[in-house]
Amino acid sequence: MSSIGIGVEEFRDGLRSGRSGVRPISLYDTTGFEYANGAEVVGFQPERHIRTLDPQRLGRATQFSVAAARMAVADAGLTAEALDAGRCLISVGTTDGESHDLDRLVETEVAEGPEHMDAITARRVPVGHLSTAVAREFELTRAEAVTVPTACAAGNYAIGYGLDAIRIGEADIALCGGADAVCRKTFTGFYRLGTIAPEKCQPFDADRKGILTGEGAGILVLESLESALARGARIYAEVLGYGLNCDAYHQVAPFGESVADCMRLALDDAGVKPEEVDFISAHGTGTKANDTTEVGAIRSVFGDAVPRTISMKSMLGHAMGAASALAAIGCALAIKEGFIPPTINHVQTDPECAVDCVPNEAVEADLRIVQNNGLAFGGNNAVVIFGSYQS
Amino acid sequence: MNTVISAWAAVSPFGIGRQVFQDGLLAGRPAAAGEPAGPDKAAFTVPDFDPRAVLGKKGTRSMDRVTALAAATVGELLATAPGLDAPAADDAPDPRRSVVLGTTTGSAQSMMDFTRSSLTEDKPFFVDPARFPNTVMNCAAGACAIRYQLKGPNATIGGGRTAGLLALNYARRLQLTGRAGSVLCGAAEEYSHARAWLGHHSRDTGEEAAVLGEGCAMMLIEPAGAGGPERPGLAEVLTVQMGVYADAEGIRPALADCVRRALATAEAAPGDLALVAPGEAAGVLGEQELAALDEVLAGAAPERVSCTELIGDTSAAAAAFQIVSVLVSAQHRPALAGRLALVTAVDRDGALGCALLRLLDGATA
Repeated sequence: MSSIGIGVEEFRDGLRSGRSGVRPISLYDTTGFEYANGAEVVGFQPERHIRTLDPQRLGRATQFSVAAARMAVADAGLTAEALDAGRCLISVGTTDGESHDLDRLVETEVAEGPEHMDAITARRVPVGHLSTAVAREFELTRAEAVTVPTACAAGNYAIGYGLDAIRIGEADIALCGGADAVCRKTFTGFYRLGTIAPEKCQPFDADRKGILTGEGAGILVLESLESALARGARIYAEVLGYGLNCDAYHQVAPFGESVADCMRLALDDAGVKPEEVDFISAHGTGTKANDTTEVGAIRSVFGDAVPRTISMKSMLGHAMGAASALAAIGCALAIKEGFIPPTINHVQTDPECAVDCVPNEAVEADLRIVQNNGLAFGGNNAVVIFGSYQS
Repeated sequence: MNTVISAWAAVSPFGIGRQVFQDGLLAGRPAAAGEPAGPDKAAFTVPDFDPRAVLGKKGTRSMDRVTALAAATVGELLATAPGLDAPAADDAPDPRRSVVLGTTTGSAQSMMDFTRSSLTEDKPFFVDPARFPNTVMNCAAGACAIRYQLKGPNATIGGGRTAGLLALNYARRLQLTGRAGSVLCGAAEEYSHARAWLGHHSRDTGEEAAVLGEGCAMMLIEPAGAGGPERPGLAEVLTVQMGVYADAEGIRPALADCVRRALATAEAAPGDLALVAPGEAAGVLGEQELAALDEVLAGAAPERVSCTELIGDTSAAAAAFQIVSVLVSAQHRPALAGRLALVTAVDRDGALGCALLRLLDGATA
């Protein structure tokens, strides 16, 4: 569920063709801001995806989460009955949860007073809904539904949690990823920090001006190799491992040494050497600070042989808690179909973060190992390593 | 590998620290009433909790209440857990300390205040940038890491009244996979105008209003034996089993199934339970929870541990407070060593579950 398309095919075609999901923000009033582009999901009809639950009782991020889970389960050739027959973990990451609903409640409070807040909207707010609604949609009563609000690395956290639960034999299937909806609160915060780009997101470019807030959801279906082979599932990629750590340095600014450590943890967990990585899907927000720090960290791990390093945020905007989940899906599709998604809007590479970012056009490539970086506020880092499945 | 709880700390409506919580719980006396906000008639708040007074001026200028509650509790835990600063044994797993913190929605107050500034100031971007991090739900866990230099995995888990159970399971898995050595695991909730109003509007017509409370309880989770003789372990975390219900009628069967799975996983019977600490949510959630326990534990009569009436509905912090209440209740009762304790929770947004603990000598001595 993304600003460049809904469903696997549209998303894949968007990544391959370097489609931009950026357009003027429409979900909330942007009067008074000098510029207000974003990357919203357009053409989303919740009732086309959500069957069991009443979409009106779900906030926008939860609608995205449930709709993406529906599409993922169908794509995997699974059914609600099959999910219910095994042990299912549902882990959904997010930055803002239903902050868009909180924004609207504040609008009411300011205009009419807190006693007039809408009850249905208020009930949608707790962040647990993002995962429990998925279980309720599939009528799973024995699922472990956990929401992981670890900001902009949350999608990778959730995927890692799914991997661990399967590895230690406590889950048969994991539905995991991330979801977020654009909101005034977060747009305003980044705008105030001077990190919203006026028009477009240009990671690694000398003229990059920041992020564009985005939204969407990505849900992946994880299962053991034995399970996938036994049911003849189509395998997009193997989740080889991941790493988690915390900068313990600054709430907002990333810390290069720690980011590098997180990549090493992930590579170790995956049993992969740096020189085996075919491309890196960077966190790549397009801010001055992130791209310089992240590329510096990549250099310290990969030395002079830095693999191609791209940012899907150039196309998708920064979908916050959904960002690393959507990028993970992009990695899996890239491996399966043999291409590297481009970094669009690229004019001139910044020597301070010089990488081959696959400028503007996707390239064909036979890929074996791909790394997906997620960095977040709070110094929360999560890096996932994917590999091609070789039968 | 077995995972144990080897120390704990609390900042609660009884005040700051473990001792006041223990004393209040064992006396069975409700904490002093706090100042209610918004539509509330009553509230339990942490008395005289001023972040700058408790935590000092450094790093607290823009800190919000839930972050300060978490930081104060983590500080208490690190300061009071016996022998925590001793070097780890050579064969211990990764000694980097990790934080896993449960929440409902972070600080709804911080989030709503930020948006309110955007809506009411002369320009929509006249907001305080220093308060922007408070509006992101992992702020408290990240702030604890910065303050106490905790560089291991740092996770925030959202789940309302079940958040403490989900966080405990997350911490347990971090250890089973070797991703962390010791984990500071718990949950925090603040009382605020925003939470009072959101709670008010979320209740059904005629639904009983729980008195809201706030606070934070944190536990030190580590591999059995890692604490050496100084921290012999208070309780072993045998299993956490979770489920989801669709409507009130679904609570009882789903929770009963969780408890049965937990007992089966531990190869235990209802009669092995010495203590049970239900979540005691107001209204139908709590009624159905007790019905599920009656169904599964029929015939067995574990002693009930209660803290809700004493400190209020602490939402995300509730299950963490239930767990530490179990540890308090086991003190000085050596006959309980080796017996089991069950902690259950039902959240209004669909999640429910239980944790099964084995009480160890360290708790019952």
